[in-house]
Amino acid sequence: MNKGNFDNTGRLVRFMLRRERLIATIWIIILVLFSMVLAPGLDTMSVDDEARAQIAGIFDNPIMVSMMGPAYGDSTGALYSGMMLLWYLIAVAVMNIFLAVRHTRADEETGRAEVVRSLPVGRLAGINATMFTALIINTILALSTGLGLALTQTPTMDFAGCMLYGAVSGAAGLVFAAITLVFCQLSQSTSGAVGLSFLSLGVFYMLRAFGDIDSDFEILSWLSPLGLASRAKTFAGNSIVPLFIMLIAAAAIAALAYKLNSMRDLGQGFIPAKPGRSSAAESLLSPFGLSFRLLRKMIIIWLIIMFSLGGSYGTIIGDIGTYVSNMPQYLEIIGLPEEVVATLTDEQMTELTDEYADMIIEYFGVFITSMMTLIGLIPVMLAATRLRAEEKEGRVEHILSRAVSRKKYIVGFVSIAFVVSALMQLATAAGLYLVAATGEKNPFSFGGLLKAYISYVPAMWLIISAAILLIGFLPKISGAIWGYYGVVCFLVFIGGMPGLLPEWLTYISPMKFIPQLPLEEFSLSVMLIMTGLSIMLTVIGVIGYGKRDMTL
Amino acid sequence: MKELCLETKNLTKSFGRFTALDGVNLQIEKGEVFGYIGPNGAGKTTTIRTLLGILQASSGEAFVFGKDAWTDAVEIHKRLAYVPGDVNLWGNLTGGEVIDLFVSLRGKSDKARREKLLKDFDLDPTKKCRTYSKGNRQKVALVAAFASDADLFILDEPTSGLDPLMEQIFQEYVLEQKNKGKGIFLSSHILSEVERLCDRVGVIMKGKLIKTGTLDELKQSAADSDGKLPDSMETLFMRYYSSSV
Repeated sequence: MNKGNFDNTGRLVRFMLRRERLIATIWIIILVLFSMVLAPGLDTMSVDDEARAQIAGIFDNPIMVSMMGPAYGDSTGALYSGMMLLWYLIAVAVMNIFLAVRHTRADEETGRAEVVRSLPVGRLAGINATMFTALIINTILALSTGLGLALTQTPTMDFAGCMLYGAVSGAAGLVFAAITLVFCQLSQSTSGAVGLSFLSLGVFYMLRAFGDIDSDFEILSWLSPLGLASRAKTFAGNSIVPLFIMLIAAAAIAALAYKLNSMRDLGQGFIPAKPGRSSAAESLLSPFGLSFRLLRKMIIIWLIIMFSLGGSYGTIIGDIGTYVSNMPQYLEIIGLPEEVVATLTDEQMTELTDEYADMIIEYFGVFITSMMTLIGLIPVMLAATRLRAEEKEGRVEHILSRAVSRKKYIVGFVSIAFVVSALMQLATAAGLYLVAATGEKNPFSFGGLLKAYISYVPAMWLIISAAILLIGFLPKISGAIWGYYGVVCFLVFIGGMPGLLPEWLTYISPMKFIPQLPLEEFSLSVMLIMTGLSIMLTVIGVIGYGKRDMTL
Repeated sequence: MKELCLETKNLTKSFGRFTALDGVNLQIEKGEVFGYIGPNGAGKTTTIRTLLGILQASSGEAFVFGKDAWTDAVEIHKRLAYVPGDVNLWGNLTGGEVIDLFVSLRGKSDKARREKLLKDFDLDPTKKCRTYSKGNRQKVALVAAFASDADLFILDEPTSGLDPLMEQIFQEYVLEQKNKGKGIFLSSHILSEVERLCDRVGVIMKGKLIKTGTLDELKQSAADSDGKLPDSMETLFMRYYSSSV
């Protein structure tokens, strides 16, 4: 061990908190408000036992559990945890991934870490300070979430439960900060570290999906920070054990990252950089070729992710027939009048649910279609916003100072984003279909599935065209498109609950206009109108981009 | 009368309230190396970016090869090569790939010349740009610029990261282009470089072009009360700075 490995950690923590001041504050305010707004709303929705039982019925359905996590009880508090906690954890994880990368690998890549290292600070002070900064920010987040929830004074949400809800969220965040620090040691590039961290988030999400729906495999949920947090059973017994497991795990993973950090040189990674081609392939030699090359790896990785996510749900859907018997709400969902269902005997009901199993399964296919579309939008948005990143980091200058018009340059990125939208939907549908086809009962036709996924593509285009419009006219605030994306996600997951939000608000999301196949009719006119609108906005954005100063 | 490569008339650029360029008049002829000097933040890079059509002038005009720098940018760039002061590249592409891309975006490539440049500048084209030092990133931009058959070279502090040997190589290539009758617009902080290469020099301070002429004329006009000429860029700057305040 060298002398003074951790020297000046405290000062670095203060410096990092200074850099985090704005970003972390925005994150925390948004997250806390997000968690506070829904608690009273859910309480007004579940006024009586019957209404609550109906909402609790959601958690009898493995598809919904695989998406949202389990609920432990039918009190408002327990339902709140069941519906909200997992989404909250994912948002907290994303915050922590970016936080950890920002102060470690990103600083190394830009050479800022070198300047800091030349000062009398310890060799491990940077990574140590990052972990402490994450600890402080997650603690603030945990306390504000807990206090915020307590402030809503929602019945059945006790103070201890509120604080535990905040604490498990913060602890899970800390675990992801530590995991990201490990990936920052392994990968030599910022983008690699971010990519690996998001991949781990996806793996942990799927691990707990399998653990949550099948009690034989519940151990899988205990291996995932996302599943562990649910196991704290907030507002339904409040178990503190998972909290300690997460804190110990965060410390252990962070220790691993410290060890790896001490074994490598500054700027290097464990995944080595290989020498590449000495001259360019023909396919690189155009503005489009460059855009494609820059996005290629990301696109391929996301195609694999979407295919596997689709496949994962394919397995779950294959088993669903066994769960749906004797559940009257499903018969109502597929259109049998309530009064008819009420008169059925158990036997008739079993018969009917068996008969309509395919339809019921299709119905749940609809739920995951919109969720998959939202996930598939991430690479599409990354492709479109890369345009702005190239400008901000000064690389656009190399291209535009050569014989390339701005229109030609921007069209490369835009066309890739448009095509990738359809590709992502295709990959998800293919994964879902192929895995479901191996099951005993495959309710899907590939054509029908594809149609359902493709009908979301115009909505994806509309969101991209909003991004292009921002980049064309308001480049400095074009990051706001991610905020809009967050709103759309929120509306898809939560906004559908009747009575929770005013109706007009839900129309902010283009997803709202998409017919949900196969329950609703495929609508060519909606697709055409939306496509036309997105092309119009894109063209306006491209014109704006051609007329403004580049902001380097 | 000599043919002009580049001309600006009362070129002005403001960002909000801040005036980065204030009525700049420049003329560069074919076969001439024009040095553009001035302190940091004086407006050198803004001038260049306006000439490249990356920024739009607030008022005044900028012509390259007699064409408008903003509206005819693409046409102009077919005959122009540019090396930025701060070369930012794509971390996951190799130097060789970037050079080929840059050359191809202008026009045809000359394989033999590319190889000679790589050898002269001692650059390994198989390395990812992420691993290059500042000097090596500049070499990538320089190789791409000199590998192209341009009529005007705009070079923004192109040698700030190069070692003295590479600086020599760079100067040879600039003189080669000058002798071929090309125009060169060179922004620089290095007096020896300006002294050896530049036919005329323009001094910009706080967005205003305060003096143009040969380096000797500039030195004469900055002589102190005893008639002693400034012997370094520092003293030249200092004299101009104190007289402009």
